[in-house]
Amino acid sequence: MSRYYLPLFLMMGMLIGLQNSVPAQMPNDAIYMNKNTICVMAAYGQNSWDEYWENTLKRENLNIGTNTTQMYMVMVAAGITDKLNLLAGLPYVQTKNSAGNLLGQKGLQDLSATLKYKFFENHGLSLHGALGGSIPMSNYIPDFLPMSIGIGSTTLTGRIIANYKHHSGIYITLHGGYTGRNNINIDRDTYQAYDRVYNTSEVAIPNTADGGINLGYLKNGIQATLFMEKFDCIGGDAIRRNDMPFPTNNMVSNNVGAFLKYQPSHFGINGRIAYVTSGQNVGQALSFMAGILYQFSIKGESVSVSN
Amino acid sequence: MKKNHTILHSILIAGFLILSCNKEIQDSSAVAYLPSNLDNNAGTWKPYILANTSEVAVADPKPVSDPEYLKELDSLKNFIAPRVSPENKAAIKYWGAGAVYRWNEIARELAAKYNLPPASNAEGKYPAPDAANPLADPKFPFANPPYTARALAYLCVAQYDALITAWNYKFKFNRKAPYKNDLSIQPLLPPTDLPSYPSEAAVVAAASYTVLIAMFPGEVPYLDSKLAECKNASVWAAMNTPSDISAGDALGKAVAAKVMTKAKTDGMAAANNQTLTTGMIEAAKGRGIQNPWLSQEAPLRPPMLPNYGAVLTWNFDKAALVSMRPPIPYVVGSPEFEKDLNELSYIQKNQTREQARIANFWSDGIGTPTPPAHWHRIAANAGIDSKFSEVRMARTLALLGTTEMDAGVACWDTKFYYYTPRPQQFGLKTSIGLPNFPSYTSGHATFSSAAATILGYLFPDQATEFIRLANEINESRIFGLIHYRIDCEMGFEHGKKIGIHAIARGKTDGSGQ
Repeated sequence: MSRYYLPLFLMMGMLIGLQNSVPAQMPNDAIYMNKNTICVMAAYGQNSWDEYWENTLKRENLNIGTNTTQMYMVMVAAGITDKLNLLAGLPYVQTKNSAGNLLGQKGLQDLSATLKYKFFENHGLSLHGALGGSIPMSNYIPDFLPMSIGIGSTTLTGRIIANYKHHSGIYITLHGGYTGRNNINIDRDTYQAYDRVYNTSEVAIPNTADGGINLGYLKNGIQATLFMEKFDCIGGDAIRRNDMPFPTNNMVSNNVGAFLKYQPSHFGINGRIAYVTSGQNVGQALSFMAGILYQFSIKGESVSVSN
Repeated sequence: MKKNHTILHSILIAGFLILSCNKEIQDSSAVAYLPSNLDNNAGTWKPYILANTSEVAVADPKPVSDPEYLKELDSLKNFIAPRVSPENKAAIKYWGAGAVYRWNEIARELAAKYNLPPASNAEGKYPAPDAANPLADPKFPFANPPYTARALAYLCVAQYDALITAWNYKFKFNRKAPYKNDLSIQPLLPPTDLPSYPSEAAVVAAASYTVLIAMFPGEVPYLDSKLAECKNASVWAAMNTPSDISAGDALGKAVAAKVMTKAKTDGMAAANNQTLTTGMIEAAKGRGIQNPWLSQEAPLRPPMLPNYGAVLTWNFDKAALVSMRPPIPYVVGSPEFEKDLNELSYIQKNQTREQARIANFWSDGIGTPTPPAHWHRIAANAGIDSKFSEVRMARTLALLGTTEMDAGVACWDTKFYYYTPRPQQFGLKTSIGLPNFPSYTSGHATFSSAAATILGYLFPDQATEFIRLANEINESRIFGLIHYRIDCEMGFEHGKKIGIHAIARGKTDGSGQ
């Protein structure tokens, strides 16, 4: 059920989903576009699971089979200055199950935008902050999980990133973020959550925290990164025994993955793979993404990426 | 550089505002009101289970001049009133909306909590919930729509029979409220001319408790706390003395015990008799159903309560149930069937957001209080809006509750009589989840049309609106792709007949309506 995270990933640059792979950089790395340089990416990604954690119980569900989310994304990274970048992305998402009779859903998901700023840099050591948010771009159904394309919350994320880069090209990044998620409204005017019934259509969505480490190499247009990430809801309830998931669930996941990029010139390609190693109230998803990048300068400055 | 800092600064402030905004959900909540009519003659109304409103005896109260009673008044004034805490006041406010209203709400909440189908085990079987071990996996009960319709019916009947008995004794003994016997006592809820012995809140609490611990045996500690709080709130608010409460408690329990005696022999114990289904399928084939219903779940799940149609009804007898049963639906392959199926195929491809919204709003599926409970909520809120007395609220919900159980029984009888296939047997998906029992007729349609009919009689000025809701519910099952139009149309007609039987009961119950 990693898809439930997608709106979060979008604005946080989380590494479970696919949206994080913004062309040359992400909200949670220390990579910047130079001033007046823009990178555009078109990507396809998908994410699937056939087992999930119902609270802490890992199980299959023969009435779901394999749950698959497909995503088509456009993303942009722009250098406002060498130290301040804007990142934005918008995915079109569609879902399906291989078994059972739940109707797949599709539509534009959430527009995300992040400003990332370099506070400090000395001898390869640097400190960065990012602020971003996301907002649903269509009136999709947020509580028909696991088929919904998102959970419909408007979000705001603050993030701190610390980075060290050796002149050999090897780098290490630590990052941590906190995301506030607004309450949502569902189609029903009553629902059960947190072990009680609410007589309203408004649903409180737990905030989230995340953190991770990237270890990689970046030089001469080549980037190769291994990463580990942890994602937690601050509060939330558990999927009850044999119940369907709900947006209030306390979704927790631990993930590992790899990211590769090759950009010899204006054009480049990237790819990414990630796997949920453990979790609660989420699917054990394997996800991949592949994208084509185009980078250009709007004022004739040299096209390069700084780290 | 400075400009960049300004931008970041602004975003930080905006972010702080969003993050610090209150996540707390504000439920709509009913508040205390003065009834528009006390229904002084409700002691003469007709009970469901009791022979009359004197069948259960209530001991004579001590006279208001008796030292014991005077001591109770003194305690209310000098011991309890100065010690009423903010938590006590919150409980007074909550229960002030009415014990019938709140216990109905509690029952609906328990239904939602227990409305989860058992998971299959390693052998691919679905273990049956065990009433003797209610908190094991799977929990008992699986509070599905038929189960909940019945639980609410017995709850409402127990409340009603107990309350009309209480009214009988209230006006027989005519003990005034504490604050009328001692004018220096300040009640914390709207004062009333209703005699206070036995306490109506305690009667309802004890009757409700007795039914609900039988229907939800895993919830005894929770129900204990609600029972105590409901009774205490009346004393904290100075609406009753402890002797009013204990008389009400005894009466409520005695009446509900009689109601539960009937419940134990109404046929529910055999409602999940799965050995009958082979014969049911053969009989349906004999009636011309060539493609009988088949569970669409994996592993195959036995159908929900196949023999619920044999459970005793309230407002009509077995012969009437058979005579009202809808005729055979379009058979698979007929042009009419193809037309209904094509309608669903079209919606699957072109479902609008508004159609999805309507399907979701009325879905009342797994984890919700169920469709009959949705109508209880609508009726209880209408009763509050109409400022019904406690006893008229009980009558309203008993008429609705028995109607909904009758609708469930009659609909289940129809479903398993014809045993027809769901649209999913012909490749359709669903946007709301597929119930695990035969298609024809729609339970939603039957519950809703029956409810709209009886509620239209109880709240004549809202009759048109209730019918509008019932029609929308009919469409919702088509929009959600789980019923053919014929299931909904015939269920709607069926529900109307069931509701008319309930109206006949209401017109002759002595309430004068």
